[in-house]
Amino acid sequence: MTIPLAPQAALLVGVLSALSLGLLRRPPPSALRGVAIGSVVSAALLALQAPIGDAGSTAILITDAKSVGWLYLICLGALPLALWDDGTDDVFTALFLGSLLGMSLLASAANLPMLFIGLEFMSLPAYLLVARSRPGARALEAAVKYFFAGGVAGALFLLGLSLYYADTRSLAFSGTLTPLGQAGAALMAACALFKLGAFPLNWWLPDAYEAAAPEVSGFLSTAMKSAAVLFLMRLCELAPEARFAAFLPAIGAVTALTGAILALRQQNLQRLFAYSSISHAGLLIIGVGAWAAAGRSADGVTALLFFLGVYAFMSNGVFAFIKHSGLETRAQLKGRGPALAVPAVAFTVLLFSLGGIPPTGGFLAKLLVLWRAVDADLLWPAIAGGVSALISLAYYLGMTRDLWFEAPSGPAPKPGPGAALVIACAAGALLLGAAPWFMSGLIGTIWP
Amino acid sequence: MTMPLTALWMVPLAGAALCAVAGPRAKHVALGASALFLFLAAGLAWMQKSNAAFAVINELGPILAYGISYRLSADALSFGMIVLTAFLNLICVIASWDLKVPAGYWSCFLALAAALTGVFLARDLFFFYIFWEATLIPMFFIIGLWGSSGRQHAAVKFFLFTFAGSVFMLLAILALVSAHHRVTGVWTWDLAVLDARALGAAAPLVFWGLVLGFAVKIPMIPLHTWLPDAHTEAPAAGSVMLAGVMLKMGVYGLLRVAIPLFPTVSWDALPILGGLAAFSTIYGALCAMAQTDLKRMIAYSSIAHLGFCLLGVLSRTSQGLAGGTLQLVNHGLTTGALFLMVGFLYERSHKRGLADFGDLATRAPYLAFFFGFATLASIGLPGLNGFVGEFMSLSGALESGPPIFAFAGVLGVTLAAGYALPAFQAVFWAPAGPGSVSDKVIDLNLRERAILWTLSGLMLWIGLYPQPWLAWFEPALRGLVR
Repeated sequence: MTIPLAPQAALLVGVLSALSLGLLRRPPPSALRGVAIGSVVSAALLALQAPIGDAGSTAILITDAKSVGWLYLICLGALPLALWDDGTDDVFTALFLGSLLGMSLLASAANLPMLFIGLEFMSLPAYLLVARSRPGARALEAAVKYFFAGGVAGALFLLGLSLYYADTRSLAFSGTLTPLGQAGAALMAACALFKLGAFPLNWWLPDAYEAAAPEVSGFLSTAMKSAAVLFLMRLCELAPEARFAAFLPAIGAVTALTGAILALRQQNLQRLFAYSSISHAGLLIIGVGAWAAAGRSADGVTALLFFLGVYAFMSNGVFAFIKHSGLETRAQLKGRGPALAVPAVAFTVLLFSLGGIPPTGGFLAKLLVLWRAVDADLLWPAIAGGVSALISLAYYLGMTRDLWFEAPSGPAPKPGPGAALVIACAAGALLLGAAPWFMSGLIGTIWP
Repeated sequence: MTMPLTALWMVPLAGAALCAVAGPRAKHVALGASALFLFLAAGLAWMQKSNAAFAVINELGPILAYGISYRLSADALSFGMIVLTAFLNLICVIASWDLKVPAGYWSCFLALAAALTGVFLARDLFFFYIFWEATLIPMFFIIGLWGSSGRQHAAVKFFLFTFAGSVFMLLAILALVSAHHRVTGVWTWDLAVLDARALGAAAPLVFWGLVLGFAVKIPMIPLHTWLPDAHTEAPAAGSVMLAGVMLKMGVYGLLRVAIPLFPTVSWDALPILGGLAAFSTIYGALCAMAQTDLKRMIAYSSIAHLGFCLLGVLSRTSQGLAGGTLQLVNHGLTTGALFLMVGFLYERSHKRGLADFGDLATRAPYLAFFFGFATLASIGLPGLNGFVGEFMSLSGALESGPPIFAFAGVLGVTLAAGYALPAFQAVFWAPAGPGSVSDKVIDLNLRERAILWTLSGLMLWIGLYPQPWLAWFEPALRGLVR
């Protein structure tokens, strides 16, 4: 028996259960943890049996190959945060699952208003997640900044939507566009680029990622980023004639370079990885541009899916290491390798993978995306992407040097829990590089 | 024997994994794995040599995706480089025997040997690139963890420089594979199948992308600035592997990838590439003259020596190719021996400046003998190996290409004597200065002498009777002659 939209239903049940548990005087932490982990896992499992392609032309929610693939990605990116959840804050659990529900709606949206609903459903809880994740004024300030940035993005989308509707009299797929519709599509794309942190709409991202708890930053940089990439792809599909797609490779190239260059001088680790995630977003935007330029082929989707899959391991892994080790700045990183032992080795593997060095998954991910760009005759964006990877190596290798080759100074913070998660993420990133054929087999089953 | 070539790179890799878990017995495991690796490599090489049916040993895996397939292929050139890798790896393990180092040290050397072997075996450009980059990781840790005072900076610089070249190499490979697919409709990364004519007018751009990757490794001036730091700061055995094998990857890449794929474009590029190579021979020698650090001097001399290799190889005459390839082996033996001896000196005195020693010939006669022997081989004394390689390279360069290249090469040979002999004199014969640490230096022990007897014996053999070595490489180079 197959039920359409079962994954979304599972997440909705999760949100409601978390809120109901919160009505108890002392909600049992194990129950809240169970709800968080259970909802994410069951959503992923239910996505497996979702019937593909049964939507009529008027449906607002569809289940196609992309939505299934991205549901996996989103659940994969969100699972670490579910594992970190200690079950003491029922509202946090509900917000987390609510944001995830928004992403799953976004993944299945078939027309523009539904895309907007999914977008806001995903974003609003995320602002509160940032605010609640850590005590203190800094998280609140970052959350307010994040909220205003998100509000601007939402307004851009609505403005674009109204222009688009004024032109086409349609809220869904459209074949031809006048300049009015073109402007509308471009504004909607600007909203998606905002969410991805594309240059020059990237200023809010480092503040939010730095102030939030590391595991929340991990969630934002993986699950949310995956959803934003699909958001951009859906816009390309809804308006195939839209001209904004032709600018994506250039925007991606500039974003990749900006993120890599700005990360060079960062001292705070979370801020550094925030800039690194901007750089990776640039590569993803190049990938979306190449996919759109090459006639939206399945190859381009595979490349993006693989990239995001590997990135879910890499980014969650490094943020988990920050949480586990308690280290906050690059100076504190110095000489800690031997004392932290296996998690430090795992962190090193993750750094090499982020830097795109074979034989790790990060290399293959960059290779696939840049290759799509070369194949679509986008040679200069591909070269810029390669150069950004090169620049980024300076800080990935720099952190490896700090960790292993330098002498420690001062007392180290006591490592907390989460070593297993760091190791699991590193193993995932390594396995996807050394034996990607399993993964391609997996994609092959989703993508006949 | 279904997968002999896979076994060749898996043996050192398995050794590396075993070392990591072997704890205090790691060095014994490393010795065993290195010996087995050399035995396997030499055995396969001998089989390949003695049986015409195995002139090229292929191992063809299935196509995985996008035409990427696990394909290995080994001819005389591959085996020459692999046996050199295995031999120097074993030498490095024996030379490091008394060091107080953790298990990771031995793991890194074996992992490096595995990745290098993969480079020399790969026929599929995807795996070629994977192995090529994988060599950087163990060497990064060898320099960064066990090097001398400036090791942190040198390790990062080494990695960044080589990776920078490789990024362009990868983009060039991608462009080639995509163009081949566009023209023929077939996805392939197989060197034996790829046809660069599909590129059309973009061919020179792609060729230079490839060459950029190789030129950093060789290193060709002006892309050489990582080398003096990396070679100087690396531990002695690390310098041996760097100079002995890793620099050869660049020349190997030219011989195996760039020239066969782009026979015409590469010939058109001769004035630039040959000019840079000729300039390297002179520039490297002049820089070496100015050094006060013994190890840094040898590092700069490597730049000059690789210039000779390039001059020979780029001439594309049978003499030049044979001489350039032989010079790859020669440089591995000679410079390897010199780096080891500087390492032995450094272990004893923690100094390696020219001014820190004097009158060592009376205190350490064995060291003086072997150092003198290797120095003479390095500057190309007739009767020793360097002469054969340099002579053949230069005669090749004279035969094709502008004579100015050969002239520059001859000048480079002369200049080599100008840095190597004064350095030898300052360390071994000149009276000890006030700050001299010569009295801390005790002579080589039996283990160290055994290593150097082996290396010196090989230098003499190649110098007196190079025919078997030349005949060895000849079939693999035949197709490259213009």
